[in-house]
Amino acid sequence: MTEVTTLMPATKKAETQANSAARLGLWLTLPAQLLVLFIALFPILMQVYISLTDWSPLDGIPWWRAYELWIGLLNYTDLMADSRFWGALWRTLFVMLVCVPVQFLLGLGLAVLFVDDFRGKRVLYSTLLVPMMVVPAVAGYMFFMLFQSGGPVNDLLSFFTSEPVRIAWLSDPDLALIAVMVADIWQWTPLMFLILLAGMISVPQDQQMAAILLGASWWRRFFTIVLPRMKSIIIIALAIRVIEIFKIFDTLFIMTGGGPGVATETISVYIYKVTQQELIWSYVAAIALAILIVLSVVSVFAIKRMQRGQDG
Amino acid sequence: MSEIALENLGKSFGDFTALADMNLTIANGEFMALLGPSGCGKSTTMNMIAGMLRPSSGTIKFNGLDVVDVPMAKRGVGFVFQNYAIFTHMSVRENLAYGLRAQGVRAGEMTKRVQAFAELLQLEPMLDRPAAGLSVNILQRLAIGRSAILEPAIFLLDEPLSNVDAAFRAVMRSELKSLQGQFGQTMVYVTHDQLEAMTMADRIAVMDHGKLLQVGTPLEIYNNPADTFVARFIGAPGMNILNGRLTQQADTVAVDLPGLGSVALPPALQAAAARLTTPDVLVGFRPEQINAAKAGLTMHVGFVERIGARTIVHMEQGAASAKAVLLSEVETPKARKDWTFAVPDDAIRLLDPVTGQALVGRPN
Ligand SMILES: Nc1ncnc2c1ncn2[C@@H]1O[C@H](COP(=O)(O)OP(=O)(O)OP(=O)(O)O)[C@@H](O)[C@H]1O
Ligand SMILES: [Mg+2]
Repeated sequence: MTEVTTLMPATKKAETQANSAARLGLWLTLPAQLLVLFIALFPILMQVYISLTDWSPLDGIPWWRAYELWIGLLNYTDLMADSRFWGALWRTLFVMLVCVPVQFLLGLGLAVLFVDDFRGKRVLYSTLLVPMMVVPAVAGYMFFMLFQSGGPVNDLLSFFTSEPVRIAWLSDPDLALIAVMVADIWQWTPLMFLILLAGMISVPQDQQMAAILLGASWWRRFFTIVLPRMKSIIIIALAIRVIEIFKIFDTLFIMTGGGPGVATETISVYIYKVTQQELIWSYVAAIALAILIVLSVVSVFAIKRMQRGQDG
Repeated sequence: MSEIALENLGKSFGDFTALADMNLTIANGEFMALLGPSGCGKSTTMNMIAGMLRPSSGTIKFNGLDVVDVPMAKRGVGFVFQNYAIFTHMSVRENLAYGLRAQGVRAGEMTKRVQAFAELLQLEPMLDRPAAGLSVNILQRLAIGRSAILEPAIFLLDEPLSNVDAAFRAVMRSELKSLQGQFGQTMVYVTHDQLEAMTMADRIAVMDHGKLLQVGTPLEIYNNPADTFVARFIGAPGMNILNGRLTQQADTVAVDLPGLGSVALPPALQAAAARLTTPDVLVGFRPEQINAAKAGLTMHVGFVERIGARTIVHMEQGAASAKAVLLSEVETPKARKDWTFAVPDDAIRLLDPVTGQALVGRPN
């Protein structure tokens, strides 16, 4: 008993000491922490501020005096009613809903091929990764040339249909988006493949052996062992591509410039045009924030799913 | 029910020979232990039987049929991995049912079998728990259950008990034995623990450096080791092996152990000894068969180890060293004194000093 009673205050003391040490540490690192927070948040806070005004660099007043042009939520209500914005958002989502699944399935298929050894694997592997290394602007020019009405794509189609094909891919409002999506799939399937291959290789070999010995077919193993064990990496790969699609710009802009009309205008292209051509910076700030919020929600959702996957 | 025959089986990885020229027939329903030190090729042998590895040479036959070209999924072999390879993203129930489901067993039948095996292996309380985070002891049962539920004719276990604690190991030893009694599979059991091999196996195959050294019942291997490796490897501590010289005394041959004394050879070994071309020979005898005596061999006692029921006496004499295991405290000699002991005639084994092989004409 005496031991316990003498011990109690000692531990309490130790605790308060540890606490005050921790608090001292907090105070000492506070300036650095504030700086980091400021660097991370400043651009966003600035955007929030500007988006609530009618400020533009042409107004001749510095940005921090933008409050003189305060308009409250008007930019946001405008945005809600901006059919060009909604069109661009919808187009971006459409590209995402087509490109990400296609890239995922192609990447997964390639990963399945490349997880086993075969002759010429190394050469083919390096070749497959090339598109990912190409500068997106260069890829844009490549596909711009490929999809000309006298370009190789039409030549190839002519060869197969054995009659001259002269499709004006990039100036046809219905086809331009397809050409753009083909370019994106070409360029970014390798990344998907790379991530999924890494995930597939890390699935324990002995579990697969155990499944084979228990009589499981290739498909059963794939769906009950390989895919479930790749869950986290699949979510990461998908999240990366979803976020990247929102940023799709260089390749697309060089191929079509967002046209014809607004036929290939995605969110990034739309923001660029509003900034460069119409110079309504405060409105752009509002759009950017809206997109940031959408992406944050998507990311949080993905991370939640992933954590649940790891627990289960 | 299957008989397994390994014929001239060999496996090399590049220049390295992991297994050479193995010939072994495992009878239908037999419990065979592959025993040997780490890296001797036990797992390699098992993986070839299961079909995970392709032999570099030789064949494997099940019931007389060559199975080398049969893919592992079709061999009907149950396999328990050393690290269990439990599907940790599934529940215990899903793990147990995995094989049945893969083989298209009807749902009703499946539930019944899973229930029966869960009861048999005491997995019932955690059937619906995720397999991740279960204790090693439970994972171990689950790994056995997951394979055994398919009632394979051949059941291969690669060091299934090496990761579990000593108490649980003793329990599992008897459970595995009774499981085999119940289903009558042909079992091949890899271990580097001789106690496991001795207590469970019908026969033991002792291996070292990719070679099969001896096959026999536990008692045969204990009593008549085929060479110096098996003699030293089996038994705790292993057999004493000392250098000796054959001497002719009247019409019988005896062995002189320099500095220790001399032992008479039993009649059965006389002929074998006579076939040796040089007088040098290795003499082997089990530490357990040594008794204190008035006359016999004399050695200096280094130290005395008391481990409960038994006492191990470490002895030296010149370059020779030997151990004795004594059961009675009365006989136990004092440390750092000379001690005289006797070895019964029929406990003496002779081995060839050049090849290390036991000289035949073994007495029993
Ligand atoms: N894939 C491989 N490539 C090269 N060497 C290998 C390979 N597999 C096994 N070996 C070697 O073959 C030898 C036998 O290996 P094996 O796994 O059969 O030993 P083991 O008797 O099961 O040992 P342990 O008790 O440690 O499991 C070892 O020296 C090992 O390094
Ligand atoms: Mg092994």
